[in-house]
Amino acid sequence: MSLQAWVRRTRTPEPAPVEREVIVIEPMDLLDAEISDDPEASPVLCCTGESAGASAFNALWLKRIAGSGRHAAAVSVRGQGNTPAAPGGPDACAHDVVQAATGLPRQAVLVGHGRGAAWAALAAARYPAAALVLVAPRQMPKQPPKPVGAPRVLLAVGEADAQSKATQAVAGAYGVAPLTFAGDAAGVFTGPGAEGLLDAILSWLGNRD
Amino acid sequence: MQEYSSQAAYDRGEAVCVIGAGAAGLIAVKNLRENGFEVDCYERDTVLGGLWNPENQHSPLYPNTHLVTSRSQTEIPDFPMPDDWPDYPSSVQMLDYLKRYAAHFGLAEHIWYGSEISHIEPVEGSRFEVVVKPAAGSAARRLRYGAVIIATGHHWAPNLPSYPGQDLFGGTVLHSSRLGDGSRLRGKKVLVVGSGNSGVDIACEAAVNAASCVHSVRRGYWHLPKYLGGEPSDYALARLRRRPRWLRGLLVDRLLKGPRALADRMGITPPDHGHADEEPVRNGRYLEHVGDGAIDRRPEIARFEGGEVFFTDGTATRPDVVVFATGYRPQIACCPPKLLGIEGEDPYPRLHARMFSPHVETLAVAGLVEPGVGTLPIMHWQTHAIAHWLHIRKGDPERAVNFRQQVVAESAQYAVESTGVSSRHRLAVDAEEYLAGLGRIIDTLEQEPAQ
Ligand SMILES: Cc1cc2nc3c(=O)[nH]c(=O)nc-3n(C[C@H](O)[C@H](O)[C@H](O)COP(=O)(O)OP(=O)(O)OC[C@H]3O[C@@H](n4cnc5c(N)ncnc54)[C@H](O)[C@@H]3O)c2cc1C
Repeated sequence: MSLQAWVRRTRTPEPAPVEREVIVIEPMDLLDAEISDDPEASPVLCCTGESAGASAFNALWLKRIAGSGRHAAAVSVRGQGNTPAAPGGPDACAHDVVQAATGLPRQAVLVGHGRGAAWAALAAARYPAAALVLVAPRQMPKQPPKPVGAPRVLLAVGEADAQSKATQAVAGAYGVAPLTFAGDAAGVFTGPGAEGLLDAILSWLGNRD
Repeated sequence: MQEYSSQAAYDRGEAVCVIGAGAAGLIAVKNLRENGFEVDCYERDTVLGGLWNPENQHSPLYPNTHLVTSRSQTEIPDFPMPDDWPDYPSSVQMLDYLKRYAAHFGLAEHIWYGSEISHIEPVEGSRFEVVVKPAAGSAARRLRYGAVIIATGHHWAPNLPSYPGQDLFGGTVLHSSRLGDGSRLRGKKVLVVGSGNSGVDIACEAAVNAASCVHSVRRGYWHLPKYLGGEPSDYALARLRRRPRWLRGLLVDRLLKGPRALADRMGITPPDHGHADEEPVRNGRYLEHVGDGAIDRRPEIARFEGGEVFFTDGTATRPDVVVFATGYRPQIACCPPKLLGIEGEDPYPRLHARMFSPHVETLAVAGLVEPGVGTLPIMHWQTHAIAHWLHIRKGDPERAVNFRQQVVAESAQYAVESTGVSSRHRLAVDAEEYLAGLGRIIDTLEQEPAQ
């Protein structure tokens, strides 16, 4: 975050606070003797643009992330899931993501899906994420702000989007090559490609953090 | 100093030494780590959080200390406070916040508690030898670092005035930092001396809990309530900075009209400098307590005489307890004064851009300013700049030289000048100008390296 951006933000009204729904699964919650909490691994915080919010990650994602030894969390931003609606555009949603992240015990990886990727990208410019993962991003800012703390960035898109202009723009902005997964953006939670995508993300995270 | 000279210093290579684990030290450790540095942080006490931790042996917290700056203007820029906290969090919340920050970024493992740094000294050009004061029974340790950041705070050495006859006074005399939980005020006749934020807060505490409260003030301050126009005052005023200059003046005057008129009614003469030059007193209750007679304002003390205290207007009072809320002197005992630009009798450092040693490139001080706004963001941007600077210096000496020139140029603006108004004034900076300067320094540092 640039100092100038911070100055601007502290001089504009703060988004109205909301009581956010945050769903958490810790490795211990899985009651599996094989799985143990890895205190060195960063927690993971997910958000999606879909109106279900945090619960979209409940069926598969959170359990699988926790299964890799990480504290797994998902947040519903204002108006999603069990979080009450409140005024505010993408900046307010990014604020919700930052608030959820700072509420986690340790520096978190931010994972954003769909429009949630745009919020995660904005959030990463205000909060030093341990890593930033953008899954099938939509409505990304034209020039995504530079993340603070120079986190590693992973961009994952469905096969159909691999060559799209939007994908290239995001890839160019972060200087990364997109990872493609089978299926499309809608299938990331339950579709046939979902498990493969998750494993790819987890192994990327596991490489170095 | 012979005990340790026989023993070789342990070399920590390019690691950086941070002295103090208060807000400034914690933020420094986090930002250095983010820039890839190994860090050892030394804290003389057994707890983190510095002055916000009542378990710190020397904590200057007084009863009911709350922030005088509002949450959004005080929180660390990349780690906001919970947004369901009040506009003005308490000291308990502030400590909780600093603990969360430390836990979140895994800072505790880099902190060495119970380790007072007694001395630092440049060696081999720009490296430093650091001496850790021996704990009872053991020898002093010496270590070598690539750089040192001093974050020891400036609220540890009480500034105590001495008036004629004070020594013979029979009642209790204490500095505001020794007030503890305030039980010493209950039911007593109290005289509070000093009209900064602490003095005014303590006078309000005494107005409610003591038998009576006389408040001796030497000079005028700007008095601001904690809210202006329905918003936290610091936020309301900062927001106006976005307006063009000509309009801003009018809007500020309009916002401050009410508080100014009230201060006037209470006989408070405004100071002879603009409100941005110095931290205003932020307390909405004070003037009301003056208005309802619970606080009896008097001028400066002239002398103590027996059990009585006489003021310069000839009036007198007979207090049980005298609380000197007369501030602190900056004191960085572990560092040779010359490295901080301290010369002669004057105890005030003269640093480049209020943070870099004028003599050694690898020595910096974090948090030695009174910006009149939240201090944590200032510490964040300072240590962000310092960490970047050390990083660049390591990899690209040529850019480092350019940068140095930029810093020296920026520094000319913040030359320490004595206005003689009060000692605290000497650490004051205009937050707006200082932040803009820090912004320019950071921009220079972050420019893409020339290929
Ligand atoms: C009563 C009071 C109210 C305040 N209210 C506000 C407010 O509302 N808003 C705001 O922004 N600011 C406020 N401040 C300003 C305050 O200075 C900052 O908020 C901030 O906490 C200062 O942090 P620091 O790390 O610079 O210093 P400190 O908190 O003083 O920490 C310095 C640390 O260094 C350690 N140390 C010192 N010397 C050595 C040594 N030689 N070796 C090892 N360790 C050492 C000390 O034990 C301490 O832990 C207030 C200050 C006071 C006194």
